[in-house]
Amino acid sequence: MSKCRIMGLFSDFEEAFCAISDIKEGKLSGVSIDDVTLKSPIEHPEIEEVLGERSAPVPYFTLAGAIFGITFGFTFLSSAQANFLVQPQGGKPVVPLPSNIVLTYEMMILFAVLFTVTSLMVCGRFMTKRSSLYSEKVCIDQIGVIVEMDEADLESTKELFKKHKVLEIREEVKQ
Amino acid sequence: MSLSNLLNDWTRYRQGIEEGGFHDYEHIFGMAIDLNKCIGCNACSIACYAENNLAVVGEEKFAKDQGMHWLRIERYWDEPDLGADDQEFQEHGASFLPMMCQQCNAATCEPVCPVAATYHTPDGLNAQVYNRCIGSRYCSNNCPYRLRYFNFYSYYETSWPAPLDQQLNPDLSVRDKGVMEKCTFCIQRIRVAKDTAQREERELVDGEFTTACAQTCPTSAIQFGDLQDPNSKVSQLWKQYQVKLGTTEQSKQNKELRGYRVFESLNTEPCVMYLDRVREV
Amino acid sequence: MHINEKDIDENIKWAEINKDVLKSMENPRPAYWVAIGLCLAMLSVAVVAEIYQYQTGMGVTNLNNPHMWDLYIATFIFWIGMSHSGTLLSAILHIIHADWRKPIYRFAEAMTTFSLMTAGLFPMIHLGRVWNMYWVIPYVTDRGIWPNFRSPLVWDAFAITTYLTSSALFLFIGMIPDLAICRDNAKGWRKKLYTVLSMGWRGDDRQWRNFRKTYMLMACFLIPLAVSVHSIVSSDFAMSIMPGWHVTSFPPYFVAGALYSGCAAIITLFILLRYFFYFEKYMTIAIMEKICKLTFAIAMVWTYLNLIEFASIWYGHDMVSKELLISKFTGPYSFWFWLMLFCGSVVPFMLAFKKYRCHMPTMFVVSLVLNLGMWLERWMIVTPTLSLSYHPFQWDVMWPSVVQWGIVFGSFGWFGLLFLTFVKIFPSVSMYEVKEMVYHRKREAGSAASEEGSAAPVKNEEGNKATPSGSGTPGLEGA
Repeated sequence: MSKCRIMGLFSDFEEAFCAISDIKEGKLSGVSIDDVTLKSPIEHPEIEEVLGERSAPVPYFTLAGAIFGITFGFTFLSSAQANFLVQPQGGKPVVPLPSNIVLTYEMMILFAVLFTVTSLMVCGRFMTKRSSLYSEKVCIDQIGVIVEMDEADLESTKELFKKHKVLEIREEVKQ
Repeated sequence: MSLSNLLNDWTRYRQGIEEGGFHDYEHIFGMAIDLNKCIGCNACSIACYAENNLAVVGEEKFAKDQGMHWLRIERYWDEPDLGADDQEFQEHGASFLPMMCQQCNAATCEPVCPVAATYHTPDGLNAQVYNRCIGSRYCSNNCPYRLRYFNFYSYYETSWPAPLDQQLNPDLSVRDKGVMEKCTFCIQRIRVAKDTAQREERELVDGEFTTACAQTCPTSAIQFGDLQDPNSKVSQLWKQYQVKLGTTEQSKQNKELRGYRVFESLNTEPCVMYLDRVREV
Repeated sequence: MHINEKDIDENIKWAEINKDVLKSMENPRPAYWVAIGLCLAMLSVAVVAEIYQYQTGMGVTNLNNPHMWDLYIATFIFWIGMSHSGTLLSAILHIIHADWRKPIYRFAEAMTTFSLMTAGLFPMIHLGRVWNMYWVIPYVTDRGIWPNFRSPLVWDAFAITTYLTSSALFLFIGMIPDLAICRDNAKGWRKKLYTVLSMGWRGDDRQWRNFRKTYMLMACFLIPLAVSVHSIVSSDFAMSIMPGWHVTSFPPYFVAGALYSGCAAIITLFILLRYFFYFEKYMTIAIMEKICKLTFAIAMVWTYLNLIEFASIWYGHDMVSKELLISKFTGPYSFWFWLMLFCGSVVPFMLAFKKYRCHMPTMFVVSLVLNLGMWLERWMIVTPTLSLSYHPFQWDVMWPSVVQWGIVFGSFGWFGLLFLTFVKIFPSVSMYEVKEMVYHRKREAGSAASEEGSAAPVKNEEGNKATPSGSGTPGLEGA
């Protein structure tokens, strides 16, 4: 049976959360909580409580970026200094640790930030085409709940949405 | 090439820690300037202008402190009561201090240059690479002696109107605007002497090279030579007056012994020794 | 907690927030074009001066042998300092969840980015051979030549690049949800621009989740970064051996000064935006008061660090530094030095009074005076040391030429131009975060009301909720 997706727009978080809780409790057969996507105009800390833990692996990339920045930065600097044909020493050693720490630190932050932003683009699935379910109202003040399910469950899902005072229901247009 | 470079630099670094001091220099060129002999005639400064293609900037720019005199004779009135009423131009009591780049071994200008245009040569000289200089002028700001000069304009355009341009020294370049420059201890002369010595497969001999200022000084107040050569006049003078590299103060007990280096306490390790008794004012 | 006035009216409708902010980006009024023209005129002064200086040489600036640096470096530090408050405060306030930052952080971060872009010009302008500027970048050549990584100027180059990249990304990442709103409402070239810039923002939970972590992590990195950047700028001086520059307390002193001038600039721009964009609803007096209090606190930190610097020089009894300090108070620069102390340490006491804090015209003038003081501070750091350093023979006093003043003057036009362009292309108030602020404030108010046992539980009217137009505010059921 083919899968389809619908989106219900709610006027506030409470109603959307209630609808999701119902799905979570299994009131909708064949639809699990993992099939639910929540769209909101603001970043709301309770979304995670309702949807449960979902992966957001950005910090690992940040850590990797920071470590890369430190190792690359220091290696790059010290090898450049050691290779330098002229030595502007001013009585200082060839590879002066105190000043290299400064630049290594900057490199750590630079690469940590760059890795973080890149991972946001990848993990957040940025720069992908928006589906036909996208509603501009989500960027204004409505909460969207997208459910992916078998076509058979379409009606029951709609019923569930309506129970929670859904404002509008959108269905994916079949190609 | 790069790996051997790296290892060489590392070896130098290790040696510097283990042995300390300036062991790896081929030479350390230094000076001894006898201030009691200096008569303040400015001949050294003129000689420097001629030898090193120093730009003549004209009265107006000189008055704005934009001159290019690598070697300047500083005049101090050390006994102000002696002279006439005019404090600016007294009759007696002037003392002179010829100041050129002190060729510090721990030069404060070197670590601050962003592009390493100023660096230390194996001759113990503090070299300025004109072509590399981007003119951030940080070196001059960090020089406690203020002995670095900046090409504020394209001085060469007006400095040597024909036929004066014919007298320019072909051994070194004429600098354009935006470049820092300073006394080099007449590195072009040292270069010639070293090349000759190498060709004749011998060591550099004291006295076969000297700077323009030392050559010109009518009272021989300026002595120039290799401090690492124990027989050179300069190193003997340094030894005689107990001035050593690696010290930050003169702790001589014998009052007859003259000799000091300017701002020694800043630990810049200058290579120019001045002979005069250090007096409390 | 007793608040006289609320930071924001929590009953603002979310759609209204969108409308107000989007409106600020449309249809520039004549005053806007006048401002743009003014900025262009100022900038052209600087461009002419720079072309003249480029052609003739640095001599036209009146720089001379002891004074190798002057207004360019002072103004460089000034702009770098200005850039600190925006991102640094925004990041700190974000981490401690101070939600009053939300209506004001966007323009403050834009100020950061643009003042960095202004500041970055000055080290280039002041170079004798600006056309060789790229030699500071560490690129591989067959000549085995590198920049000198020991030089604080190279640290500057690294630090400013890092800071500019990071703070611009921080600004941009924080703006993505708003850009999506712009995308949904724009037409023509704007639509294309916002579609690209919003990077396919859909507002789903995956994006928000990663977004929140990213934003928090970037804030965590930006705080030490901002501190390190100005510490590195202070290293230009502290790492040297000159009296008056070689001061241990310079890094915190510079950071405090940076925050100080940045806060003052936030106040200036706050008032301008509030007035010209009718942002009274978002940039409220209550928020203004908070910034003013913060500025006052930082002003006192700055004053303290000034005093501690004087004291440590005085009791350290390094004769050269001490004489320099005395001559700062009594010598050729004494007028400017006292003016700096007056503007930086005395004028901020006006911020201690609520009467002045709430009076916008007064605050506008005060914030400009504070920044004048901070600019003088930078000048008084750079120049007296050069005039009166170790070698008495080279003591000299110099007055910068009109070329220097022109470029300094023009830099404000450049900054203004960037900022004016920004406010018309990008939302200068964060829409989604103001919504968050409103939402949470309302919930807090609601729960406070229900805890007090108030008989009037705050609820949305049913009618509002059912409106399919979507203008309803989120309710508070279950609160």
